[in-house]
Amino acid sequence: MSFYNAKAENVSSPSVILDDMILTKDMPTTAGSRMLDSYMSLFDAEAVSKLRAAGYAIAGKAAVGEFAFDLIGESAYGGALVRDGKLVSAACEILLSGEADAAVTLDVNGSVRRASAQSGLVSLKPTYGTVSRFGTVPVACSGECVSVVAETADKCAEIFSVIVGHDAKDGTSLSASQCQAALARASAPKKVCVIEDFLQEVDADVKDKIDAACAAFEKAGATVEKISVPTLLAARAAWNILFSAELCNNVSRYDGVKYGYRAESFSGIDELYTNSRTEAFGKLLKTAIIYGSETLSTENYMKVYDKALRTRRVIAEKFAELFAEYDAVLLPAVSKMAYTEEMVAEKHDLCYVENLYTAPASVTGLPSVVCGGVALIGPALSDGKLLSYAKIVTGEEN
Amino acid sequence: MTREILRRLELLNQLSLTEEEKESVMAFFDAREADAACLESIDTSEVERMVHVMPIMTVVREDVVSQPYSREELQRSAPETDEGYWCVPRVVE
Repeated sequence: MSFYNAKAENVSSPSVILDDMILTKDMPTTAGSRMLDSYMSLFDAEAVSKLRAAGYAIAGKAAVGEFAFDLIGESAYGGALVRDGKLVSAACEILLSGEADAAVTLDVNGSVRRASAQSGLVSLKPTYGTVSRFGTVPVACSGECVSVVAETADKCAEIFSVIVGHDAKDGTSLSASQCQAALARASAPKKVCVIEDFLQEVDADVKDKIDAACAAFEKAGATVEKISVPTLLAARAAWNILFSAELCNNVSRYDGVKYGYRAESFSGIDELYTNSRTEAFGKLLKTAIIYGSETLSTENYMKVYDKALRTRRVIAEKFAELFAEYDAVLLPAVSKMAYTEEMVAEKHDLCYVENLYTAPASVTGLPSVVCGGVALIGPALSDGKLLSYAKIVTGEEN
Repeated sequence: MTREILRRLELLNQLSLTEEEKESVMAFFDAREADAACLESIDTSEVERMVHVMPIMTVVREDVVSQPYSREELQRSAPETDEGYWCVPRVVE
């Protein structure tokens, strides 16, 4: 079992581990898929260029699930990573072992946030558009973000300050002034709300984490209110449709011709395409492709895909209403503090269920910080403030 | 979801599923019925689509002619090449 898909030698400090969705010109980028096994990029991702320019060494490429949209990495071509019977994330394990100071990952469907919550690490999924996606393997372009994981909120803030910024090479990149605004820090929040609707199906130890975070905020002088906003539960359904549709389009480029895996046996061009894709793609990815294409079909486009896009706005407007009153929204990041191999063996598409807690930030592009096993969501460009609030939860302020 | 629609989606996506994978995909679609019901409960009759989560600032730029990579570099990860061309099976009979 290796946590690395590629490992650099003689790594200097400070160092950053990348997940294998982020392109590097000196190491292969596989996206956890047989399709891109040993694929070499011609260029570095913008985030990598910024890290190298700031003096950070790249420690290597951490294993990821196939195209990084699964539960916690279990769909990787190289197999799931398991420790003591529990599924673990390669990037988080490398951080916990002290082999890198921080991780920079592509958050497609919340797997890195789930892993951070279960590992006791801090992660930032920034406001969409504040960190360039140039040079990441595209999967769910309208919501995925280059994210940061570290042992502390301050280390996350440090790495975020390096990779944030406008990039003309990314058409969805925000302006330099907006990116700069996302760095602003804060003291304690005045008012935080917990969305009770998300606590219905979580384990007792997850509820304990929520209670501990509430107590920490109250001790810091914040008012914490528990409220019900059932509309937000629809974020998962909308995100499942949108990310699957985008994934289906994005992986259509892999045909076994220009780069990537090619089947050994085929009788013509159609069989070359079909056999290459069939042999290279895993079961979860095939399922997502079929689902995504069905949501975009003539029969379903308006009923399903268009409906999801309109629901996305409903969710975003609901958050805007909340942020008129509250500084941050507190949610669980996971339903349980560990996943087992048996769970994903029994239900290979568990990522479509467990993303209930991560989908609200994914579908709206809002920043989300995972700390102390819980998730905070704030208004757009409140990334730095959320990291300040995270210090209250983790006790870094004390 | 029917077997007939699933076969059409396989063809469209250049995939050939095993019987076990087909069963799994059918079960997946059944599970997504709950998602559909959830969306149905949201009134979107007066709501605009939200394609971009943040306002897009830069969508066009000046065309600049450049040649950043050589043919050899671009074909470095190709499964099969011959004298600078990508090789594919005969497509015209």
